[in-house]
Amino acid sequence: MRAGDQAAYAVLVARYRARLGRYAVHMLGDRDDAEEALQDAFVRAYRSISRCRDDARFGAWLFGILVNRCRTAGRRAARRQRMFVRDDVSLARAAAAEPPEAPDWDITVRRALDRLVPALREAFLLKHVEELEYDEMAQLTGAKVSALKMRVMRAREQLRALLSEVERV
Amino acid sequence: MFEHDDDALNRMIDRLREPVEMDPRLDTRVMARVAAPGFGARAALVWEWLRRPRAVAISPIAGLGLAAAAAVLIWVLPTHTSQPPSLPATDITPVQFVVVAPGAESVSLVGDFNDWDARLTPMRAERDGRLWTVTIPLPAGRHRYAFLVNGARWLADPSAPRAPDDFGTPSSVVTVGG
Amino acid sequence: MTIVHRVATLALAAALFLTGVARAQDPRLVHRLDSSTTAAVGELLDSARTAGLPVEPLVQRALEGAAKHAEPDRIVAAVRRLAGELGVARAALGRESSPAELDAGASALRAGVRPEDLTLLRQRRTQSLTVALAALTDLVVGGVPPDSAASAVLALAARARDDQIADFRRAVERDIALGATPAAAAAVRVDATLHEATNAAANPNTPRKP
Repeated sequence: MRAGDQAAYAVLVARYRARLGRYAVHMLGDRDDAEEALQDAFVRAYRSISRCRDDARFGAWLFGILVNRCRTAGRRAARRQRMFVRDDVSLARAAAAEPPEAPDWDITVRRALDRLVPALREAFLLKHVEELEYDEMAQLTGAKVSALKMRVMRAREQLRALLSEVERV
Repeated sequence: MFEHDDDALNRMIDRLREPVEMDPRLDTRVMARVAAPGFGARAALVWEWLRRPRAVAISPIAGLGLAAAAAVLIWVLPTHTSQPPSLPATDITPVQFVVVAPGAESVSLVGDFNDWDARLTPMRAERDGRLWTVTIPLPAGRHRYAFLVNGARWLADPSAPRAPDDFGTPSSVVTVGG
Repeated sequence: MTIVHRVATLALAAALFLTGVARAQDPRLVHRLDSSTTAAVGELLDSARTAGLPVEPLVQRALEGAAKHAEPDRIVAAVRRLAGELGVARAALGRESSPAELDAGASALRAGVRPEDLTLLRQRRTQSLTVALAALTDLVVGGVPPDSAASAVLALAARARDDQIADFRRAVERDIALGATPAAAAAVRVDATLHEATNAAANPNTPRKP
């Protein structure tokens, strides 16, 4: 590919980075994982651009790739956490993972999101944070609209319960 | 209480909607991988596919709040490029315009800087046929412009601020300087 | 010059005056518009010139209309409107304003910024106002209420450089695209930019961002 093509793609990456980054960070709960998923998504999009139908919206299609990358990354992270390694390094890292100065509300929000199973978290974020329509979500996730509505409803119920728990403490 | 629970939920949603800054070095990492030699062979197949004629379809992402795949990149010439010393380099800035227009036969950049003459600044299709670009030097100030696709259809730059519409067709604005 | 030559020159000038073509028309307009539209726009250009307003933005507006095959009435109306806005901008920004400043000022007025805020900006900022006015306009077009946008840019006017104001505008626009309310985005970014501008002033050797 000529240098000009890459320069043009770099412009697109810069443009979409922040927008897609928000979803990845909230979905995965870890900034490093989110950056990795985002990188993967951009690289895959470049590689498979032929699969972007010409009447599809480029940004939405790119977002769909990211949603998939986050699913894969999420599964990997879950396996990592199950490997229970007690050593000084990982304990220190675990302690450092939550910076002491993070405001309580942010920690609450993060923990509440983490308590949702990935499918519910994904649906909740796409609907309420990314503000997609259900049809768009169906295209991105491959799930049916009815299933997505159910997931969003369940996510809201669980979050409401989790949040009111916190406030009663 | 039901309302109370929803308040907390809405607060949570508001917090989550706030912008998240991502490391701009991510762009460099992506481009390093994209530029790797292994891409060559597969890329050739992709270009073939994209060169087939098809209807022009340009649509912004609805609901995602961002315009589709068009960007204006403004940068200043680095001071070490070879320029005739007599030119006041700071007065003129190269500006790159990029637009996605798959299958278009021609795209022109038209605006205040070229007397709205569509013949003066044709854009170049990158080999994939989807991205059209051109870089032109612009003086400081505000410039109105739009893209003209196939000599017939006016397209504003989805990612640039809109210009007020005097003629029933969309235009955009780029500000150069500073 | 011989007397004959002089009389001939005067006669020619009179003839031109009488036919209403006191100045040569801009060839760009002549080639792109029909003759009656060229004449109507030409009159507006002459008035603007007499009033000390920049003519080039008016020519460009007419050319834009021509390129877009707009109705002649619409072209003339657009040029007249812009001429009016340039006049108000000049009154607000001062007679010494550059054409670029007046053009940017006219855009700001069109977007809904009050003339008083343009005058305030002129009072607070010693360097060219073009970039600040453009940023102000783009903020309003992007959704920031005019008074919030004006407050923000006025707050930055005395201390921030042009590039910092441009960065500020881009940052606010990004925040809005990501879901922040426009007024809040402007308020937050003003603080950050002021902080940066103050630091830069204190440390003039810090390299500027590429």
